[in-house]
Amino acid sequence: MKDVQPPKWAQKLLLGFLKEELAEEVLGDLDEKFYAVLSSHSTRKAKLNYWFQVFNYFRPFALKHYRSDPIPFSMLKQNFLISYRILLKNKVFSTVNIGGLAIGMTVVFLIGLWIHDEFSFNTRHEHYDRIVQVMRKDFVEGDIRVNSSLVGQAGIYLADNFPHLFDKVAMTFFRSRSQLLTVDRHSYDQDGYFFQPDGPELLSLNMLAGTREGLKDISSILISESLAKKFFGHESPMGQSIQLNSATELTVRGVFEDLPLNSTFGNATFFASMEIIYNEQNPYTWDNYNMKIYALLKPAVKLADASEAIKEVLIANRESSNRRVELFLHPMKDWHLRSEFENGIPVPGQRFQFVKLYGIIGFFVLLLACINFINLNTARYQNRAKEIGVRKTLGSQRSYLIAQFLAESMLYAFGAFCISILAVHLALPWFNGMSDKAIQFPWYQPWFWFATLAFTLFTALLAGLYPALFLSGFSPIKALNGKINQGKGNVRFRQGLVVFQFTISIILIIGTITIHQLIQNAKDRPVGYEQDRLITVRGLSQDYFEKYDLLREELKKTGVVTEMAEANYPLINTLGNNGGFSLPGASQTFDISFNTIYVTPEYGQTTQWELTAGRDFSRELGDESGSIILSESAVQQMGLDNPIGQQIQSRSSFNGRDQFTIVGVVKDMIKGSPFESAMPLMVFPTKESLRFLFIRIQPEVVFAEALPKIQEAFEGVLPDNPFHYQFVDEEYNTKFRSEERIGSIATLFSFLAILISCLGLFGLSAYMAEKRSKEIGIRKVLGASVMNVWLLLSRDFSLLVVIASLIAVPIAAYFLNGWLQSYEYRIPVFWWIYLIGGVASFVVTILTVSYHALKVSLANPVESLRME
Amino acid sequence: MSENKLGNFEETLLLLVGILEKEAYAFRIAEEYEVQTEKATSIGSVHSTLNRLSKKGFLTSEMGEPTAERGGRRKRIYKITAEGQRALEQSRDLKLSLWNQFPGFAGNQFNWSL
Repeated sequence: MKDVQPPKWAQKLLLGFLKEELAEEVLGDLDEKFYAVLSSHSTRKAKLNYWFQVFNYFRPFALKHYRSDPIPFSMLKQNFLISYRILLKNKVFSTVNIGGLAIGMTVVFLIGLWIHDEFSFNTRHEHYDRIVQVMRKDFVEGDIRVNSSLVGQAGIYLADNFPHLFDKVAMTFFRSRSQLLTVDRHSYDQDGYFFQPDGPELLSLNMLAGTREGLKDISSILISESLAKKFFGHESPMGQSIQLNSATELTVRGVFEDLPLNSTFGNATFFASMEIIYNEQNPYTWDNYNMKIYALLKPAVKLADASEAIKEVLIANRESSNRRVELFLHPMKDWHLRSEFENGIPVPGQRFQFVKLYGIIGFFVLLLACINFINLNTARYQNRAKEIGVRKTLGSQRSYLIAQFLAESMLYAFGAFCISILAVHLALPWFNGMSDKAIQFPWYQPWFWFATLAFTLFTALLAGLYPALFLSGFSPIKALNGKINQGKGNVRFRQGLVVFQFTISIILIIGTITIHQLIQNAKDRPVGYEQDRLITVRGLSQDYFEKYDLLREELKKTGVVTEMAEANYPLINTLGNNGGFSLPGASQTFDISFNTIYVTPEYGQTTQWELTAGRDFSRELGDESGSIILSESAVQQMGLDNPIGQQIQSRSSFNGRDQFTIVGVVKDMIKGSPFESAMPLMVFPTKESLRFLFIRIQPEVVFAEALPKIQEAFEGVLPDNPFHYQFVDEEYNTKFRSEERIGSIATLFSFLAILISCLGLFGLSAYMAEKRSKEIGIRKVLGASVMNVWLLLSRDFSLLVVIASLIAVPIAAYFLNGWLQSYEYRIPVFWWIYLIGGVASFVVTILTVSYHALKVSLANPVESLRME
Repeated sequence: MSENKLGNFEETLLLLVGILEKEAYAFRIAEEYEVQTEKATSIGSVHSTLNRLSKKGFLTSEMGEPTAERGGRRKRIYKITAEGQRALEQSRDLKLSLWNQFPGFAGNQFNWSL
């Protein structure tokens, strides 16, 4: 029990305000209380109680600098009371003000939580600051390429020869894919890692049962808490057996607490020994780059020193090669946000750009909300001028007035704070869905409340300081005379702020439309095959690889399947990369990396790729192991004029050969990112079974009818292989996810930005209309029409928006052009997008302003002229 | 409020200090209060009241011995003064006399030894 300590922050807080002479007895009492609660309740309850006790020491007798001087306090009370009354008196104004601020703060809090989540990536690992990944730098033609795949011997070598640097070294396979786990014929496809025995210790898995040593026995498996629940329910999973890929029996030797989603290994539901599936004689070699190596630095070792020390390991041990290669260490803290490399140096990656982008957007949205506050308050100066004059003549000092105005803005900010906390709480599940996160609302985290309250205070100051200084500066005589002139400078300032607000809003609108346009464009891009009615299933069980013909026959018998085929990689990635091809007799190989895949002869008919020349593969033609089909971009990059019949030489062997004949050319297939140009494709035929199965469903058959039939046939042939199918078009659409995510978040933010700006404009126009009501009365009496008056009032604001558009367009063009450059398959920056951005905000402005403009212009002039 | 009047909470605490004798320090008093009255309180509010009672001269206090469960910190032990004793008696006498005039409980039906 004694290892649980009272919350440190609470103690710090207590010591901060408590009289020193009381510290000893109070801390002692609270400690006793803490342990008393702890002995019968949970740790959390004890900690909460400790906080409660600390707050209860907020009493005059215990405070350090307590002066029983009642004047400032009563004034403070008065300040808040007056602020409260003013708030109630101007309901529209208050709503606009608090609502605007609340929206701004909600956005900032959401973004803040998101950014915090990004920065706390992986931090749950105990040795977060000492875990490193070993990476290599290849020096290729003046360029440095960084890669994380390494040879197995390197890991062994590092562990054996550098014990003074590393506490632990553990390898896992470079390519990890989900595995089929079975208990009592219940099979699940699970993500997990095959590690060397030290892996769990290195990652400091939090074991709920068993130990981290579990993997020392190669036939053991450690499973996550959630997987244990899924398989065994309330039974104890320890010692139970789980079947891996319907072939190997593994024994559960430990259960670990699920890793948080925001960690590199967050998807892991199990850890098993690497040796169990690496059953070759000598698995660790110096030439097969199939491993990832992780290591735990010794506490005193500096990263740079260790990096330097292991630099030459590959050169020293590898067989002769003239290409320079170096090893280095990539610390865990950089894995997430700095995992891209430029010239071998880690640089902030795309994620980091998002963090920056969202941070900037959040800042601007808040700024817009603060601008509202400033604008509305200064615009209202006339209503307050008399109050200020009276206060000043009665002896109020300027500093008291400033305190009054700041108290007002505190009150607004605090109101907005409460609303935004509620809004964040409600919006969080939805926000999580949109941003693919699992952020929890940190109700019990003191840092969250400190940060948000400090932030609220900061906002209140930011929003309140200018009005406070401006309003409190009135000369009392002028103020009482009503002679305060709306100085040109102040009007300009306010107009400047409105222009600024709308500039930001318009930039956001343009950005949003551009993103959506970009995504739509990429979605409309021809993919080179027919995605519709195509499903894919993973081959997992052992017998899958022996029953190709039977499966094909059975599936076709159902009458709902046109054709099926298999390939060694899915349709939606470009795995399988090879270079080293040349024309026969040529001295040099092409400097092209091809996407090389093996397919069964029915692949073409199943995917319905588009042949542009030559023929498709065919089962009837006998031995086809020397034929290949290329994509158009492959032909083009090789510079072949007459590709059909052309011989191609290869350095490494495919299908047991190294010379091939091109028999066909197909349209480019978009297998990689739809935003990039297609990778040149080279297809080899084989009659062997391959891991990825594709099934084309007959046209005009309903899925609801076809899928059960297919499943029945499939399970009839392969009872051990789960029929987990996916639609290829749905799989393909996941490629747009990260862009769509930016798209939807950008949409949200620009909508909120516009909303905030309009709220401000709405309030501002209300005051303008009120102020000019007499002028308008006179104009109407003299014969002005409603139209005239409406134009008069709307004109000013519209002009501001036009100016804002003029400023926004070049800025948006500059940034969007830069951003679009990072996409190979992109859209030009269309002029009409800018037009829409400008026109949309113009229309919205007119609508917002018109409410009050029309109200005033429709009013009976008698009403406004009769006053006083 | 006159200086030597006792509030309800004050009176209870004063009695508890008397009951707990050598164990009369803020945490124990607060615990005992919760046990006896079945009402929740906080150490801070008890401490603040003890402080007030000391100022009124009803209590004295001195630092006791350090103990392990307090992280080696000493505790402040409170003791009732003669004045405190007198204030308690006055308060009891007042109530007694009032109870005796209360017709519903006239006579000896009420058990005062409680």
